[in-house]
Amino acid sequence: MNYILSKEEMERVFAAISVDFESYGAVEKEGEVVFDRVHSLAEVSENRSRYAPKEFLIRRNENVLYLEEQQRKAVFGIKSCDLKGFYLMDKQVLNRDPFYTERRNKTLFVNFVCNAPCEGGFCSSFGGPVLDEFDIQVLREGNNYHVMASDKYDKYFSGYRNDDGSYFSDFNRKFNTEMPPLEVDGLENRIKWNSPIWKEFASRCISCGACNYSCPTCYCFDLYDDGDERKREWDSCILSGFTSSSAGNIRSGLDERLRQRFYHKFVYFKKSKDEFLCTGCNRCVEDCPVGIDIKEVITHDYSLE
Amino acid sequence: MVTVSRRIDEAPEIYTLELGAKNEGKSGQFYMLSVQGVGEAPISVASGFGRNLVFTIRSIGSVTSRAMKEGRIGVRGPYGSNWPWKEYDEIVAVAGGIGIPPIRSLIEEMIDANREGDVELMYGARSPSDIVYKKEINEWMKTVDVHLTVDRGDERWNGKVGFVPTLLKDSHFSKNAAMFVIGPPLMMKNTVKEAVSLGYREDRIFISLERRMECGIGVCGHCNVGHRYACEEGPIFNYSEVMTEPELFL
Repeated sequence: MNYILSKEEMERVFAAISVDFESYGAVEKEGEVVFDRVHSLAEVSENRSRYAPKEFLIRRNENVLYLEEQQRKAVFGIKSCDLKGFYLMDKQVLNRDPFYTERRNKTLFVNFVCNAPCEGGFCSSFGGPVLDEFDIQVLREGNNYHVMASDKYDKYFSGYRNDDGSYFSDFNRKFNTEMPPLEVDGLENRIKWNSPIWKEFASRCISCGACNYSCPTCYCFDLYDDGDERKREWDSCILSGFTSSSAGNIRSGLDERLRQRFYHKFVYFKKSKDEFLCTGCNRCVEDCPVGIDIKEVITHDYSLE
Repeated sequence: MVTVSRRIDEAPEIYTLELGAKNEGKSGQFYMLSVQGVGEAPISVASGFGRNLVFTIRSIGSVTSRAMKEGRIGVRGPYGSNWPWKEYDEIVAVAGGIGIPPIRSLIEEMIDANREGDVELMYGARSPSDIVYKKEINEWMKTVDVHLTVDRGDERWNGKVGFVPTLLKDSHFSKNAAMFVIGPPLMMKNTVKEAVSLGYREDRIFISLERRMECGIGVCGHCNVGHRYACEEGPIFNYSEVMTEPELFL
């Protein structure tokens, strides 16, 4: 259902949710936006966190020999691009990975829709900042909050003023004209395996893996033993050992590994899940030390190659 | 953790472990074997479904070198797809080098189902001393049509010398037979090519692809073959479904 709430009413909803969940939010700390415990909605920043909040569901590093029961958490102020990353990951990871699944089922995300396009972002190419799937979606208009609540969390809004939801759709339409979408339709067929673009990227890439770490949709991990623990750790398909096995290395070239990253996002995931594995957050571009821009993969003219 | 009940040295750097547990996997599937403090490695099961767990391992990495010395090893699985032998009347099983364990598993399952007359084994190794399962092969030869070759013979070898694909034309089955292929990438590539040129159907050829499986459950992302994960939809693939993947063979 859709609702419209005042600031005070939103604080009351926050308090009610915080009874059932351990509340976290995006907060400004030492010049950066990070996620931390919060005790009121007023503390929550509307700015995008420095890093994608992937760690709420996939820890950077953890022992997989034991799965502890997780706390129920509510995360306020996650941006739509980051939340969409989880919905995309769900299609491959949910109900396969017990760690992800346990946390996913116990985490409530309250996404804040951006009020204006961000520099470099291209979420409009994948539908825009108003999502079709969410727990509780919030869009502030002055001192009022427009809210879309999923059935599961609708109870927190009973008694508040209903809204027809048109503000969300109108806003999304306006947003997407201010951030003109890139042409992504048919990209999975347009992109070329032998395009020179992969070698061109490879000539600059330093294999640091920052693009994978910053990405809200990259879910790959490495498993290794560390004393008595068996650990999983975020992995990067850009690193040279990613596919090395006793039969050899299927992707020994850096250009091949870069191609894999973009093929996973724009070809393989599209084929297997009918979605692009990218939300247009632009984090990988911002964090790349050599200026490799995923948008070039989308806009590149492959027709002459 | 499972107890190692027997260790057999098969060939240089290749050993077999028999474990004190039943195999719940089907031929072609794999388990993740582990040595505490060292790590895990995906290893195909070498025994038939319901028999004791057997693995034949080449010591090439940290886990596979250490597993040889352990009295107990970690086992999780089985994972992945299996050889679809029940769907076919005749099966040409082609193995190269250390690719043979899943074929041993296949032959055991077919023996247990009284169908050993429906399988032919084509097996090649680098040299006579690299042949794995010499004892088992002698046993199989009583009821199974076995064709062997080596890349390089020695003074005591009076069998065939040549690469694996040269064996294919010796099959007594029709070209409608299913073909199961496993071995080093180049051997598989050449075998499949030869099979297709001999008239075998691409959709009746099945290949086993080795990738860096780490999780076994389709989430760690290391083993993709195009849009498929080898630990989930493989390691046994119908060749016609993956033949256009540019990263098929190394």
